[in-house]
Amino acid sequence: MTLLRTRGLTAGYGPVTVLHGLDLEVAEGEIVVILGANGAGKTTTMRAISGTIPRAGSVEFEGHDVHKSAPDAIVRAGIAQVPQGRGTFPELSVEDNLKVGAFVRRDGGGKIGADALRWFEVFPRLAERRSQRAGSLSGGEQQMLAIARALMSRPKLLLCDEPSMGLAPLITQELFQVLERLNKEEGLSVLLVEQNANLAMHMADRVYLLETGRIVASGSAAELSADDSIRKAYLGF
Amino acid sequence: MKSLFTIKSGGAASWAMRLAVAAVLAALMLWVPTRGSDSLIEVCTTAFTLMAAALSLNLLLGYAGQISLGHSAFFGIGTYTTAVMVTRWGWSPFHTLPVAFVLAFVVGVLVSLPALRIKGVYLALVTLALGMVFPQFIKWKKLSWLTGGAKGINDTGFKFTKDNPTYEIFGWNPWGNLRGQNVKPFYFWVGAIIVLVVYLICRGVVKSRVGRSLVAIRDNSTAAAVMGVNLPVTKGIVFGLSAAMCALPGSLSAIRTGTVTADTQLLTVAGSITFLVIMVVGGAGSLWGPIIGAAVYQFIIERTGGWTEPDAIPALFRPFFGWSKTAPGGGLFAIALILLMFVAPLGLVGLWRQHSVRLCRVVPKPAGTTTISVMAAAPAAVDETHTA
Ligand SMILES: Nc1ncnc2c1ncn2[C@@H]1O[C@H](COP(=O)(O)OP(=O)(O)OP(=O)(O)O)[C@@H](O)[C@H]1O
Ligand SMILES: [Mg+2]
Repeated sequence: MTLLRTRGLTAGYGPVTVLHGLDLEVAEGEIVVILGANGAGKTTTMRAISGTIPRAGSVEFEGHDVHKSAPDAIVRAGIAQVPQGRGTFPELSVEDNLKVGAFVRRDGGGKIGADALRWFEVFPRLAERRSQRAGSLSGGEQQMLAIARALMSRPKLLLCDEPSMGLAPLITQELFQVLERLNKEEGLSVLLVEQNANLAMHMADRVYLLETGRIVASGSAAELSADDSIRKAYLGF
Repeated sequence: MKSLFTIKSGGAASWAMRLAVAAVLAALMLWVPTRGSDSLIEVCTTAFTLMAAALSLNLLLGYAGQISLGHSAFFGIGTYTTAVMVTRWGWSPFHTLPVAFVLAFVVGVLVSLPALRIKGVYLALVTLALGMVFPQFIKWKKLSWLTGGAKGINDTGFKFTKDNPTYEIFGWNPWGNLRGQNVKPFYFWVGAIIVLVVYLICRGVVKSRVGRSLVAIRDNSTAAAVMGVNLPVTKGIVFGLSAAMCALPGSLSAIRTGTVTADTQLLTVAGSITFLVIMVVGGAGSLWGPIIGAAVYQFIIERTGGWTEPDAIPALFRPFFGWSKTAPGGGLFAIALILLMFVAPLGLVGLWRQHSVRLCRVVPKPAGTTTISVMAAAPAAVDETHTA
């Protein structure tokens, strides 16, 4: 079943239009990757979906039109975002960062605490530093925190904007393994922006290629990498 | 860093320390109104007024990161609400406090609407305009039927009559005599209660999930928004709450002094600056900061109040202040502000946090000990082999 569907999604900053009518789909339990050069509009796409910038066109989530919803309503509907460049709250402790991630949840401190413990198990580095200021974490640890924090809202769809930025290759792999596992075991759908095309293609069910705010190609990872011209122009392998 | 003592957080020593601090505070609070001189009681009551105002500003600026140079206007709304209701409509002064609170809340929310779109310097300018307009608005001719114009309003205070009850405890009367001879202790207690109420509200907000989201907004508003924090609503409510709390000490000053005019220092922009400086010197973003800041401020003002006469100045300071025609308290406090910004940008509380380690280190509980019970209840959905 389709979880997220955008039709003619248009967005930009002030007078500048960056996205020129995107038709995107993410099905339930799918990992979808968006690839594109710097400035292609990948981050803008994420922001348009999460409602943090003005947008036009339709955005449907679980069959409901959410294109007019405010960001908090969208989180409540089940879309969480890991913003590009982490965006952790430096003055809050690691634990409090996670609690803010659960801001929209109404199911009580006990369950929220249990979820926090669960992510501490997945990311033991965070557990060791739970009462430390988030600002004092290393870049990679902050990235883990940003992902754990987004998961604290128990999303159905996770928007992940370059989670590998600034991470050691090994940590990146671990991170992607975690995402894949959540996807397999719990049916979490993921919309992932990634520069490392090679790595991303391995886990992707489907791929969109973005160029200056338009989708220029889409299909399964196998289809796209089978196309020589696309491979040379966009994927670089 | 080596420290003299090491104690465990939550242990017996830590509780003993808290008890000792509480005992000293309680003793002071009882000693001042019963044994202290009239002028000391007055000074403390003024300090309470400043504490409450600085605490309310701290919630907005220290925690939510929104500056306001217009809090003198909210203070003034309290003052004038009480003055008008007491003199024009015959309300009992203390019944006007909730009205002032609500009115300032509404005005605060309205002011927050433009504040939603702007930050930093621009927000400072918009709220500065509010602070500047307020006294002019009060003095506006068309409103003088209500506000008394430039002349102000008289007889705004509490009436002490023979019919007032006295609340003696075995012949001992810590509140002063409400039948009219010695009322200063009474105001002292009202001031103390207002500080307590404002402190508890601030503490409640700061330690709650709303408090976390305030810091989140301050740290990274976009990220806070994608966590589902509703920025306009949160900012609006906090602005309103901060304004509402600032009206309480304003009301108290009308009740206490019995006369109000729009040119009283605390009702002008100078008042806003005073609140701001007190908060910064004490320590922005900490609950005790504004309280300590206000106490220090009032102490300095009081000590140097007579320094316009060279003979009144202690010999050590005479060469520096002998020429001054006005009391140098404000200037001294300003110098303290500048020095603090170099050694402790987080104010006196920050200074204490930096250096108290030498005296006594509080070791936090080992991580995880408090949450074991929760761990047992956690769903075992994650298999151990896969932890990153
Ligand atoms: N806040 C902003 N204000 C104005 N223009 C912006 C803003 N953010 C991005 N842009 C513009 O929008 C276009 C797309 O930017 P976007 O951040 O979506 O690119 P991206 O595909 O995520 O790139 P990268 O791979 O470098 O992260 C760029 O031309 C950029 O200059
Ligand atoms: Mg980007």
